[in-house]
Amino acid sequence: MNGAQHILEAFQRHQIDTVFGYPGGCIMPLYDALVDAEGVEHVLCRHEQGCALAADGYARASGRLGVCIATSGPGATNLITGVANAHRDSIPMLVITGQVPSALIGTDAFQETDVLGMALGIVKHSYLVTEADELPAILEEAISLAQQGRPGPVWIDIPKDVLLTDIAAMACPSAAPDIAQAAQSTLTTTAPPCPDLSDALALLHNARQPLLYSGGGVGLAGAEAAFRAFADTSGLPGVVTLKGIGNHGKHSPHQLGMLGMHGSRAANLAVDACDLLLVIGARLDDRATGKLADFAPNARIIHLDADQAEFHKLRRAEVALRGDLNTMLQALTQALSNRPLAIADWQAQCRTWATTKGFPAADNEATVAPIHGPEFVRQLSRITPDDAIIACDVGQHQMWVAQHYQFDHPRHHLSSGGLGTMGFGLPAAIGAQFARPDQVVINVSGDGSFMMNAQELATIRRYRLPLKLIILDNQCLGMVRQQQELFYGNRESQIDLDDNPDFLTMARAFDIPSLHIERSDQIRRGIETILAYQGPMLLHVAIARDDNVWPIVKPGAGNREMLDEHQRNRKETPTTKTSKETAA
Amino acid sequence: MSATTEHTLTCRMQAEPAALERLCQVVRVRGFRIRQMSADSADGQLTIGLTVSGERPIGMLQSQLEKLHTVAQVSTETTLALARA
Ligand SMILES: Cc1ncc(C[n+]2csc(CCOP(=O)(O)OP(=O)(O)O)c2C)c(N)n1
Ligand SMILES: [Mg+2]
Repeated sequence: MNGAQHILEAFQRHQIDTVFGYPGGCIMPLYDALVDAEGVEHVLCRHEQGCALAADGYARASGRLGVCIATSGPGATNLITGVANAHRDSIPMLVITGQVPSALIGTDAFQETDVLGMALGIVKHSYLVTEADELPAILEEAISLAQQGRPGPVWIDIPKDVLLTDIAAMACPSAAPDIAQAAQSTLTTTAPPCPDLSDALALLHNARQPLLYSGGGVGLAGAEAAFRAFADTSGLPGVVTLKGIGNHGKHSPHQLGMLGMHGSRAANLAVDACDLLLVIGARLDDRATGKLADFAPNARIIHLDADQAEFHKLRRAEVALRGDLNTMLQALTQALSNRPLAIADWQAQCRTWATTKGFPAADNEATVAPIHGPEFVRQLSRITPDDAIIACDVGQHQMWVAQHYQFDHPRHHLSSGGLGTMGFGLPAAIGAQFARPDQVVINVSGDGSFMMNAQELATIRRYRLPLKLIILDNQCLGMVRQQQELFYGNRESQIDLDDNPDFLTMARAFDIPSLHIERSDQIRRGIETILAYQGPMLLHVAIARDDNVWPIVKPGAGNREMLDEHQRNRKETPTTKTSKETAA
Repeated sequence: MSATTEHTLTCRMQAEPAALERLCQVVRVRGFRIRQMSADSADGQLTIGLTVSGERPIGMLQSQLEKLHTVAQVSTETTLALARA
C-alpha cells in the first residue's frame, strides 16, 4: 500500500465517507488511488476555498470531521481562507495537501509554497511528512486531534514522493508509536473528571440577578440537551452569542436572544444589570462584549469551557472550570434540582425585557416595496420546517438571520462568526446538504457575498443538490454602507453594486430555476415555491438599499450605547463617489 | 496601560521541524517580544529558554503556549518590571 492508498484506508477506518477536494500535480497520486477507492465520496468543488468551506459546513451541520484536499502551491493558498474560518470557529477539520517531492523542497520548485509555515497561525496543529513511514501515525493523530477538546483544523502537507512510497509494512497505525505518544498539550489530553463545582454553586446561590451567557462551545461539545436541562432546572435567564444561537431551542421562556453589537436590547440590558454571569462555551469576543470596561460591570464571572487559555483572557473569572460541558452541566443541574435558585423577581424583569425589548419587528400589514430584510427573514422562519438548516454569508443579511430567525438547534445555523468570511454561505450549504441529504438546506446570501464563491453553483449542478438559494439583494455592500452612514459621516465609498449581474440568468446557466420578488405580499408565495420545488432553486429578493441593522453598538463603544432607527441621522443624499466614476 | 515587564520562560517541546516557528509566532501574536533565546535539543525534545517582554499578563502567554500540541511543559521563572521607556 502506498502513502496515498494508506490515506484512503484511514478514511475508511474512521468512517470518513465524504471529502471535498480539487486535484493538481503534487496530489495526483491520491487522486489516482481514488479511482479504485470504495466507501469515500470525493466532492469536486470549483475552487479550493469552496472545498475548505464546504468541509466546514459539513462539519458544522453534522458534528463530524470535515475533510478537504488540494494540491501544492495555489491549491494550498486557496484553502487558506476556509481553514482560517474553521480555526476561528473551532470546527473539526482535516486538511490534506500535496507538496513538491521531498528532494525539491527548498529549491523554489514549480508550485512550491511553504505550506507548513504559511498555515501556522490558522491551524490547531500541522505536519509536513518527511518520512513515509510516519504517515500512518500522523494520520491517526491528526484525525483525533482535530476532534478532541476544543476542535480545530489540522493540516497534513505530504510530498508527492511520500504519497507514492510503499509503506505496506507500516499499515498498522500502532507501528509508529513514538509519534502517537508525542507530547500531549493540556488541551488535548482526555477531559479531566468533573471539577469541584462548590464555588460555582455558592456564587449562583448568592446571586440575585444571575444570567446565563452561552456560546458555540455548547453545540461543539454536543451538550445541547445537558444545557437545556440546566437552563430549565435553574430557571436562569439566558443570552446567547452569534454562535450560541439555537442553544436554548426555539420555545425556551428564559432566553433573551443574542447579545452584542447587533444584539437585542433585552440581552444587552440584562448583561448590564446582572450580578453574576455564567459563561458557558464562549470566549467573550469583542463583537459580543463591546467595550470591555463597560461589559457586565456589576457581575462576577463563572466560566466553563474546554479551553484553559480562554479563562481570564479578556475578563477575570472568579471561578474558571475546564472540562467536558456535558459532565459539568449535568452535575450543576443535579445540584440545583436539589436546591433551586430563588430569583423570581429577576426572572420577571428579564421576561418583561424579552417581550418589550426584543428585536424591532418589521411585520407589516400593508404591502411594501421594496421588501425589508427583517420581515423576509421572519416569514422564512415561520414557513420553513423546524429542522431546516440555514447557512448565511456575511453582512446585514447575516445579522437579520441571527436576529429574526427562530433556531431550534445550534447546528441549524451555519454562520461565519470569528472570521466573518463573505462567500461562506454557498459552499457551507453545499457541505451541509451532503451531511444532511434529507433536510432542507437554505443559503441566505447578500448580493456582495454571493459573488465571492458563485463558482460553486457548478457544484450544485453536478451533484444535483436540492439547495434553496436566497439572495437578499440591496445592490450594495450593505453592512459597510451602514457603518459609513453612521460612523463616517455618510460618505459612501466603494459599496455600490447597482451593476450586479442578472442573478436569474446566472442561475439559469447552471440549470437552476429562479424566481424574483420585490413586494412584501410576494414573500410567502416565493418561499413556498422554492421549498416545494424538487431540486435547487434561487429566490432573488429585491430589498431596500438603505435599510440598517438595528440596534447597533458603535465598534469600541459599550453595549449600553445601542443606537436605534429613531436615532438615525440620515442626510438627504449620501456623498457618493462610485467606483465607476473613479475608474472613468 | 500597564508597564512593560520582562519574564523568563522555559519551554519543553517536541523537536519537530516547525517547533521554533510555532513558539515564536505565538509569542509575537500574543503581544510579547523576544529579548533572549536559547535552545537545546536532546532525545527528540527541545528545551527552550526565553526572555520576553510585554505589557500583558504572562499567564496569558503561558496558557497559549501550553495549547501548542507539541509543547510538553512551560514554566515561568522570574518577572521583572522594566522602567517605562
Ligand atoms: C472576504 C471578506 N471581505 C470583506 C469583508 C468586509 N465586509 C463585511 S460585510 C460586507 C458587505 C457584505 O455585502 P453583502 O454580501 O451584499 O451583504 P449585505 O450587508 O448587503 O447584506 C463586507 C464587504 C468580509 N467580511 N469578508
Ligand atoms: Mg448587499
